[in-house]
Amino acid sequence: MTGASISRWTMSYFAAALFFLLGGEALFAAGFGFPVLPIEAPETLVVVHIFAIGWLGLLFCGALLQFVPVLVSKPLHAPDLALHALLLLIAGLLCLVCGFVHLAGYFDGGLVLLPVGGMFLAAGFGFVVYMVGGTLLSARPIGLPARFVATGLVALTATAILGVSFALDLSGVIEASFLDQLLVNGLSLHAFLGLIGWMSVSAFGVSYRMLAMFLLAPEIDRRTTSAAWLFLTVAVLAVIVAIPVAAYGLDATAGVHAAIAIAIIAACLFAYDVVNIYRQRKRRSLELNTQMSAVAVGALMLAIGLFLFLSLSGTLASQIGALVYLIAFGWLTVLGLGQLYKIVAFITWLEYYGPVLGRKPVPRIQDLINERRASSWFYLYAGCVAASVLALLLEMPLLFRLAALIQLIAVAALVIELARTRKLSYVAIAPAADGENLQHPPLFLPTPIKRK
Amino acid sequence: MAIGFKTLDVRPILASGGEPFQAIMGTVDDLAPGEGFRLIAPFRPQPLFSVMERRGFDYELEELPDGGFEVRFLPKEAINLQHSEDVVSPDLWPEPSIDLDLSDLDPPEPMVRLLAEAERLDPGEVIFAVLSREPLFLFPELTRRGHQWVGNFDAGGTFYRIMIRVGDEENEGHD
Repeated sequence: MTGASISRWTMSYFAAALFFLLGGEALFAAGFGFPVLPIEAPETLVVVHIFAIGWLGLLFCGALLQFVPVLVSKPLHAPDLALHALLLLIAGLLCLVCGFVHLAGYFDGGLVLLPVGGMFLAAGFGFVVYMVGGTLLSARPIGLPARFVATGLVALTATAILGVSFALDLSGVIEASFLDQLLVNGLSLHAFLGLIGWMSVSAFGVSYRMLAMFLLAPEIDRRTTSAAWLFLTVAVLAVIVAIPVAAYGLDATAGVHAAIAIAIIAACLFAYDVVNIYRQRKRRSLELNTQMSAVAVGALMLAIGLFLFLSLSGTLASQIGALVYLIAFGWLTVLGLGQLYKIVAFITWLEYYGPVLGRKPVPRIQDLINERRASSWFYLYAGCVAASVLALLLEMPLLFRLAALIQLIAVAALVIELARTRKLSYVAIAPAADGENLQHPPLFLPTPIKRK
Repeated sequence: MAIGFKTLDVRPILASGGEPFQAIMGTVDDLAPGEGFRLIAPFRPQPLFSVMERRGFDYELEELPDGGFEVRFLPKEAINLQHSEDVVSPDLWPEPSIDLDLSDLDPPEPMVRLLAEAERLDPGEVIFAVLSREPLFLFPELTRRGHQWVGNFDAGGTFYRIMIRVGDEENEGHD
């Protein structure tokens, strides 16, 4: 079968992801963890994993389940696992967070939750890798954008394995010196594989296709794109090779540094390609999602500049928090939120009006949203990310918390906008319901199966 | 699999002193996925062979009794031809009732247009359309409504050509 359909649980992934984004911003605003507490504090680990797994992880999983079938023009492999994966990921994250809260000394007896959460998470991500990887395998030979996703899946697997080993070591369930060594030397590997290897690489691949689609630009396999993919794959493999080195007790920083250098070249190639896609576009005016993608790629370039500046000035170790923050919120979150805004409108339109297309007049996709209203919240959010980075660099925790509070408000406003889209609140023409038995799409649960 | 041939006789154009190349290329551009092209010319159109080769066509040459030539250009491969599962022999489909260029429309407008045309036409009629990209979300909806389709990208990969055969309403609904 050829073609793509709506992935049934994707909207639920997005809803859960937004819930964790709001929760994380609230914790930031409340001063829980970094930067009020040190970066190594268990409280920081709570916040970091709420954002990394709860927000970005669920967002990316939901998006991959929807978009990999579009990338390769094949239906999703084993789609019934999507709900299992979602529940495992949420349960795993909650256990993990409780484990970290125990480490912080808020309550006793929660240590065992760390490996339990790790196992749940590994199983959940394993299901996602199985679904997405199986889809890619069924579509061989796969195109260039899909290859980025494949590299990302390898990195995701390695991230999860490292995470489980950390959890086993921290909880003391298994005593082994190689696990101790891995915990000491492997944190940067874990962070690189998750943020860069999995999320950024997948975001590159999906962006190539989505930006060309939304901007009506030609989809050509550029030589710079294949070079970017090759570099990123090498970078991911270099870090994976560094894992046993770190477990053996040797310093693995050389591997990470090499990987970062290679990834920077790849990111610049990506940015160059993106500029070309924008230049070659047939759609003159930029929609909100493509404006936000441009802001996100700009933030990625700023992150590279910041990395080089911090490295040269010898302050990378003390300012690593600001850099990671810029990558997670300036690049990945702005990109993700922007595309989410478009995807939710599209899925809702297709879900609700798909059955009557061509039979009844239907609104356009843009009639489901209010870009003017959303755009001020988006720009407020992006501005606050910039303020937060400055606050981190200048070590002003109060400013950081204030920015987080405004971010919380902006995200909440965007969630309301998304809910309005789902509820068709902006649609002026009456839903063409006569005789067609149209069902209003549920807010974030799948429509009960009626028509196959 | 060739869906049939479009035929162009360039002898009248040449007889009136015209230049047939543009008419030829116009016809080639309008070919449906997998469709062949039959050219009738008063001489052997040697330069055209390499042009068509680059566009992914093989040729068969036949000398006509009156001294002219008939060249049949066949798409080299239909391996990239996609189709709905119930498609048996699109070569037997009737000539398209309508021919749409939707390449300038923003997605998902081509999908809306094609579904509307399919509603309008009678069962068995065929729609031909050129799109700027592969209509991935249209395919399942066509199948759901009982329409058959074949489609592929042109040789340059810039346009997607699709032929839709309108299904019987009674068949609608089974996937």
